[in-house]
Amino acid sequence: MNHPVIEARGVTKQFGRREVLAGVDLTVPHGAVVGLVGTNGAGKSTFIKCLLGLLRPSGGTIRLLGEEPWTLSAEMKAHLGYVPQTVQLYPWMRVEQIIRYVAAFYPQWDAAWVDGLVRRWDLPKDHRVGPLSQGQLQKLALVLALGHRPGLLVLDEPVASLDPVARREFLRSLLELTADAEHTVLFSTHITSDLERVASHIAVLRNGRIALFDELDAVKDRVKRLRVASRADLPAHFAIRGALRTQVDGRNALVAVADLDDALVREVETNWQADVSVEDLNLEDIFLELHHD
Amino acid sequence: MRIVTKPALNFEIHPSSGVPIYRQLMDQMRLLVASGRMTAGELVPSIRQLAEALEVNMMTVSKAYARLEADGVLERDRGVGMRVKAAATNGSVTQRQGELRPDAEQLAAHAWQLQLSDEQALSVVKTALKKRADVDG
Repeated sequence: MNHPVIEARGVTKQFGRREVLAGVDLTVPHGAVVGLVGTNGAGKSTFIKCLLGLLRPSGGTIRLLGEEPWTLSAEMKAHLGYVPQTVQLYPWMRVEQIIRYVAAFYPQWDAAWVDGLVRRWDLPKDHRVGPLSQGQLQKLALVLALGHRPGLLVLDEPVASLDPVARREFLRSLLELTADAEHTVLFSTHITSDLERVASHIAVLRNGRIALFDELDAVKDRVKRLRVASRADLPAHFAIRGALRTQVDGRNALVAVADLDDALVREVETNWQADVSVEDLNLEDIFLELHHD
Repeated sequence: MRIVTKPALNFEIHPSSGVPIYRQLMDQMRLLVASGRMTAGELVPSIRQLAEALEVNMMTVSKAYARLEADGVLERDRGVGMRVKAAATNGSVTQRQGELRPDAEQLAAHAWQLQLSDEQALSVVKTALKKRADVDG
């Protein structure tokens, strides 16, 4: 398969006069675990629905392994796993029944793995789905989406209602699924700490566009904060190339930069007669720096 | 209770740190080798073992090992796994000083904030080193 798993070009989506997606470009390679982050209302769910052919984009193109989502073939659908933000399952079925019911649709269902997941996640097999808590419903939906070991797994806020124990179990299952580097995962979240353990890539959705997409390691290696201490007061026009955000206070400045290299540090040191120290930023810091106007 | 494989106990990662996980692994592996806690020829945990024990993406561990191999800290033993390379053991003084540099930079920043002179800051460091040496006997 030579096609990227996901290829989105200039995807736009309007609801009436409100534009939610303003030209999303995103190419996801095989085996990637992509964390899609964005503030509430950034358009994460809308983009996911367009990806899966549940919503028709207003403009642009999307390809899933070369196919258009709106007219996806049955074979392609059998390769997908999806858990929406709000889980809806037949309330009258028992947990065990619904697992068997879904399993029947997929010839490649991995019953042994599913059994293990049900045990590890403490899902009550003989209970009815109706009275399950939000967290348990979400766990069940995840098990149902994982059971056929989908080639592409798409999860919309999968950890929102999970407790910390379930969250770790969920992350472990994702690692198990993707250990062979053949399964691709895209999951949206606003909890950045969950992402840092499992994600290979991060995509930041902002103002209807992808503001940043790269390997997570590369992002942490490049996005840094410079602490600048000059000998004299810094002028009003103080600026550094590639700055995401600049805060100046007298002789000191804090500058978040998108792409740090040694030359940049030397440049700042000579141009502004300053001592420069470089600080690492974690994903939450980076996310906040990107969202500062 | 889950039992963590023993070799992984040597590593401690902080996913929410600004230092990428693969770099944390590289730094810690270097320290283990430089300090002699891992010796030449010793097998390091397999990529899968370490990824599972630390609950991180296998690609992350694989990247750390590949870089350590390129840097001459580890070497590939075909069909067996990765071993600590003989030459890397006990690293050169310059190498080991390099390990200390980030701590020194942080210390320098604190000394500056406290408006301590170089001599004043150094004397604190010397006292700390002396205390360490006394403990060691």
